[in-house]
Amino acid sequence: MRLFRWLLLCASLILAVILADLCRAQAAPRKPGELVWTIGYDPKTFDPAKVDDQESEQVRYLTAGVLLRFNRLTQKVEPRLAESWKLSSDGKTITFRLRPGLEFSDGSSLTSRDVAWSIRRVLRKDTGAPVAEEFVSPADVTVDAPDAGAVIVHLPRRVIGIGKVFDEIAIEPAERPSEGRVTAGPFVVAEYRRSRFVRLRANPHYAAAGGAALPYASGIRLDVLENHEQEIRLFERGDYDLIDGVPPDYFELVQKKDPAAVRDLGPSLNTEQMWFNQAPNAPLPAWEKSWFESRDFRLAVSQAIHRADLARIAYLGHATPAYSFISPANSEWYDHQISAPHTDVAAARAALARTGFHLDGDTLQDSAGHAVKFSILTNAGNAARMKMATLIQQDLAALGMQVNVVALDFPALIERLMHTQDYEACLLGLENVDPDPNAMMNIWLSSSPNHQWDPSEKAPATAWEAEIDRAMDRQASSLSMTTRKQAVDRVQQIVADEQPFIYLVYPNVLVAASPHLKGVQPAVLEPALAWNAEDLRLDGQR
Amino acid sequence: MRFNRSVAALLVGLVLVASIVLLAPRASYSRQDRDATLATASRQHPAGTDELGRDRLVRVSAAFLLSLAGAIAASAITTAAAAAVGTLAAFGPASVGWLAMLACDVFLALPWLFLLMMVRSALPLTTSPANSAAITFLVLAALGWPACARAVWRGALNLRNAEWMLHTRASGLRPVQIVRHAIPNLLPLLVPQFLVCIPAFVIAEANLGALGLGVGEPLPSWGGMLLELDNSAMLMQTRWVYFPVALLVVVLLLLDAIAVEVE
Repeated sequence: MRLFRWLLLCASLILAVILADLCRAQAAPRKPGELVWTIGYDPKTFDPAKVDDQESEQVRYLTAGVLLRFNRLTQKVEPRLAESWKLSSDGKTITFRLRPGLEFSDGSSLTSRDVAWSIRRVLRKDTGAPVAEEFVSPADVTVDAPDAGAVIVHLPRRVIGIGKVFDEIAIEPAERPSEGRVTAGPFVVAEYRRSRFVRLRANPHYAAAGGAALPYASGIRLDVLENHEQEIRLFERGDYDLIDGVPPDYFELVQKKDPAAVRDLGPSLNTEQMWFNQAPNAPLPAWEKSWFESRDFRLAVSQAIHRADLARIAYLGHATPAYSFISPANSEWYDHQISAPHTDVAAARAALARTGFHLDGDTLQDSAGHAVKFSILTNAGNAARMKMATLIQQDLAALGMQVNVVALDFPALIERLMHTQDYEACLLGLENVDPDPNAMMNIWLSSSPNHQWDPSEKAPATAWEAEIDRAMDRQASSLSMTTRKQAVDRVQQIVADEQPFIYLVYPNVLVAASPHLKGVQPAVLEPALAWNAEDLRLDGQR
Repeated sequence: MRFNRSVAALLVGLVLVASIVLLAPRASYSRQDRDATLATASRQHPAGTDELGRDRLVRVSAAFLLSLAGAIAASAITTAAAAAVGTLAAFGPASVGWLAMLACDVFLALPWLFLLMMVRSALPLTTSPANSAAITFLVLAALGWPACARAVWRGALNLRNAEWMLHTRASGLRPVQIVRHAIPNLLPLLVPQFLVCIPAFVIAEANLGALGLGVGEPLPSWGGMLLELDNSAMLMQTRWVYFPVALLVVVLLLLDAIAVEVE
C-alpha cells in the first residue's frame, strides 16, 4: 500500500511537470498575417522621445515615422518621411523637404508643424530624451517650419553624422503625443498586455519609400519572454518567426536540427562590460567609493579578468575578448594601436599594493583594514552574463576580493542604475546601433544621464573625463576625418588607461529565422533581422 | 521498525559519503576547471563537471549537506516555536490562547512564497552566500511554525483535559511546573512534526533556488543545480545534469519515509 502511495506521488509529480511545461510553452494565438517574435522584458515606455532601454527602442524602431532612416545593411542614411534633405556647407543647417501627402495612422495630415514640434520636444530638457545629447548642445538648436512641406534645423555648430540622429526621432502629431498609438511608421501600437505581449498592427496610411504597399505583415506581436529555453522551443515549433540574438548555448543545438535556420554573422558592434559605481550620491560607504574612484583598483580588476575564458566558456567561442568600446568589426574606428591592460595577475597585485591594499590571509584589505568585498549586479535570465560574473568572481578571488553575484530582473536593475544608484558594480552589455562613435555621445559626455559610472555630472569629476568630453566634442564637430579619428583614438586610449568601463567581450551576432519567413536580410547592426520588418512576410503572403 | 532503521541508515550513509567527498583533499565546490567544462564522468570528476568546470559531485554533496543541515535547523526552530505557542495557547488564559491561534491563522493566510521572495530580494546586495543561505532557512522557519503550532495546541488541549493533569493542577503545581510535565508528554507529537518539516524545508529551499532567490553563487544549492535542467542545450551534452535532481528525489523519499515511520 505504501509502495502504491509513492508510485502515485511520483506519477502526479511527472504529470504536473508535463502539464506545467505544456502550459508554459503555449504562445498566444497568432492573427492572420501576423509576425511573432519576442522581447526580453516589458518596454519601460512607449513614448518614443523617452526611450532609454532596448525593448522600448525596438517598439520605437517598428512604429516610429522618421525623417531619415539609417539602413542597417548598407549603413547609409536614407530618406523616409523626408523626400530630400540637405546639409549646408558649414554643417550647421539641415533642410528637410517632406514627401507630399503624408498622413499619420489615424488619417490626419502630417505637416512640417508636426515635424518641428516633434524635434523641439526631443530637444527640450524637461523631456529627458537621451537622443538630445547627440546634438551636443540641444538647448541652442532651433527648428523652423517655413511652409507645410519644409523643416529647417539650425545647429549651433556642426555635428558629424547628424543625419543618423534623425533615425531616432519619431515624428508625432503636434501637441498630441500618443505613445506609439498614432504614428507615421509602418506599425502602430495596438494592444499592450503587461508581461504578456505588445501587439502592433500595420499602419494603413504608411507611405513607404518608392510607393510600395508596405508593410507586408498585418501586424507584429512581441511576446514578453525572458526565458530563452522557451523561446527556442517555440521557435522550433514555428510559433516564433525569428530570434534576433540566439544565446550561444542554443546556437549549436538549433544548428544541429536545422542548419539553415541559424547564422553566426561574426563579431557585433556590441560590448559586454562591467563598471564600478562612482556616483558621489550613491548610498555606499565612503571607503568603497574611494576604491571605485581609484584608477589602480579598476586597473587591477581589469588585469585579473581572463577575458579569453569569458569568450570561450560563457559564449562557447562565439565572442572576442574586448579592450575597447569600439569593436574590431568596426574597422573604420577601431584603434589597433591601443595600449590596453591585458590579463596579468601579478601586475594587478602590484597595482593594488601601490594604493595601500594588502592581503590579510586570503582577504584583500584596504589601508584602513576594510575587507574588499562588493557585489556585481547583472540581469536575471542572461545565462552568458551570469557565467561571466561567476568566472569573474573566481578571477577576483585570486586577488583576495570577495564578490557576490546578484541577478535582478531588468526593471529592478534599471531602477538601481538610473534612480537609486544603490549598487557597487554592474555587468551589462551595450548595444551599438551605429558604427559612428558620435552615436555614443550619450555614454561618454560627463553630463549625460547615461554616463553610467557617474551619471549627469554637473562638471567633469576628473581631468580625464574632461578630456573625454573635449575629444568627443572635437570628433562631433570636426570636418576632417583624420581629426575625428585622432579624437576617437584618444578617447579609446583614455578609457583603456582609466578603465571606467572594464570591457569584457564582443559577442558575435547569432540569429535564427524561420525558413517560412521571407525578405530576411541579416545585418550585423541591431536589430539584425527585424531592421527591415516592413519587408518581412510569411510564406504565402503577398 | 526494520524499514525505518534501514532508511535512516541509508540517509546517514549518504551524509557520510557527502562529507567524505567534501573533505577529500583538493575538493572544492567553487574551483573552476576551465579546461574541462561540462565534462562527462572521469576519475578526476566522478559525476562530471558543470558548465563552468566545477566538480558536480562535490557541488551536489555540498548542496545536500547544506540543505539538510539548514532544513534540520529550520525544523528545530519551527518545532520549538510551535511547542511554545501551542502549549502557551493551551495552558495559558483563554484570551492568550485565542490571540495565539489568531496569530497562527493570520500567518497561515499569508502568501508565504511572495513573502519569502520579498524578504530575499530586500536583502543587501553584499549579503554573503553563506548568510543568504542562513537567512533563507531562518525565514522558512519563521513562516513554517503556525501549522505545526495548531497541531501542538490540539495535542496540548487534550493533555490539559487529561485526568492526571487535572490531578497535578488540583495538587497546586505552578503553571511552569505543569508545562514542564506536559512537554515530555507532547514529544510523540513534536518529533513527527519536526521530521515532517525537514523535507518540506528542503523542497522550499530548492524552489527558492530555482527562482533565483536561494543561495548565491558560488555556494551550491539544489535549486541552482535544478536550473541546469531548464537548458535543453546542456541536456544534449551530458546526462549528468540529471544527477542532482535524482539525488534530491531520493533524499526527499528517505526523509519522508522516516517521518511516516516515526508517525
